[in-house]
Amino acid sequence: MRAAFRYLGRGSWLARRDPRVLILVAVLFVFGASQVRDVRQLLVILAAALGYYAMAGIPWRSVRLQWIYLLVVVTLFATFNAVLTGGQAGSFVGTETHLLLALPLGLTLTAEGLSLAASQIVRYLSFAAVGFPVAYAIAPGDFGVALRRLGLGDRFAVMVDLTIRFIPTLSAEFGETIDAQRVRGFDPLERRGGLRTRLRRLAPIFVPVTVGSLAGAEDTIDAMDLRGFGTGKRVWYRQLAMDRASWVVVGVFVGFLIVATVLNATGQSEHYLLPFLVP
Amino acid sequence: MTAIAQAAPGPWSVTTRVIVYSAIGAALYALFNWIAFAIQIPGTENVSVRPHYGLLTFFGFAFGPVVGFLTGFVGNTVGDQLAYGSAFGSWWWSVANGLAGLVAGVFPFWMASRMTSTGNKAFWAAVAGVVGTIVGFLFIWIELIIQPELGFNTILTGEYIPVVIGNSIAAAIVTPILVLAWEPLSEQLGR
Repeated sequence: MRAAFRYLGRGSWLARRDPRVLILVAVLFVFGASQVRDVRQLLVILAAALGYYAMAGIPWRSVRLQWIYLLVVVTLFATFNAVLTGGQAGSFVGTETHLLLALPLGLTLTAEGLSLAASQIVRYLSFAAVGFPVAYAIAPGDFGVALRRLGLGDRFAVMVDLTIRFIPTLSAEFGETIDAQRVRGFDPLERRGGLRTRLRRLAPIFVPVTVGSLAGAEDTIDAMDLRGFGTGKRVWYRQLAMDRASWVVVGVFVGFLIVATVLNATGQSEHYLLPFLVP
Repeated sequence: MTAIAQAAPGPWSVTTRVIVYSAIGAALYALFNWIAFAIQIPGTENVSVRPHYGLLTFFGFAFGPVVGFLTGFVGNTVGDQLAYGSAFGSWWWSVANGLAGLVAGVFPFWMASRMTSTGNKAFWAAVAGVVGTIVGFLFIWIELIIQPELGFNTILTGEYIPVVIGNSIAAAIVTPILVLAWEPLSEQLGR
């Protein structure tokens, strides 16, 4: 088992930008796209997000499964929501709905419900397109310093840095613990049995991995204390610099957030009823 | 002879220990989120128990509200990033996880006088985990504003209730187990 941030976009145009840009863009984008409801506008946003994603140079074969999983989960959830609300949500509240299919238990599938689902799916996919570069086009060692330079405190930045560094180590410990239990003839991940049995079976991995990590943390704490961590201003070895292209990218996404906010505030981005769904 | 009095850190102080424990909690939570352990409750459609959720309430209960919040917030964000490549796509869920850890972490300070033995502590750890879950996940109701496609019914029946049931079960079982395992070791380490 291998769990770590993979630097798949190494050397790409986005990876050569200041890592702060990728984090800022993701945040600006989420707040902007969350305010847009019209699926036609969201499709334009998705196209732009995919263009941005392409600049990260992430190999398709490495993330194919993630995209498929995301698409399946988001589609299932959006369809579930469409059925449960019957299209009476968002901008369609109180409007007359167009019935497409009557389902058991009084549930209905309506043109409005499917239009809402379309907005949701497109928005989530655009989030993913802008989020993937954060995972794959930032060098894992740059997260801490990037967060610090974005104005977060030293302690929080170090904490995120440590989290990213601990994941591969803990993942290896977790694998070893499972192997150790299996050598003893006990498979903690066996899928047989009821809820209680399966929960009880997991205890021999959760407890040693968690308690072992906490006991091991004392070394890290002592090492940091001995170096005077938290007693003064921290100096980061890695220096970051925003080049002109980085500023342009940030400027474009700030502009997007402003436009999305104006569209939302002036009511120009209500949910759109897809005409071809209306019987 | 002079004695140097060192004040015990308060629940909201951010010491080196808080940073490191938060990082370990977040890394474990992210790792298990990524591996996606989930056990479906028999007879239900969409209620599953994620046993590792108990880690979050344990870290809050054992090490305080700051560790609880950071374990939930950062752990869920990093876990989402590892699993879906989308750290901020569902940021409100990460905040909800963080708040659950925070509430579970505040509990021992309120209930300090009642936690007289390890068994007692384990019982209150389970209570803290469940209360933290119920309160913390109220934050997902923000979806009514930021996810207007979701109606009240979807959030209640499709998200809040299944999540609270599944996570409360995990918290009620796993948190006390970890407290019972950690207590003797913490005494040995002098913490």
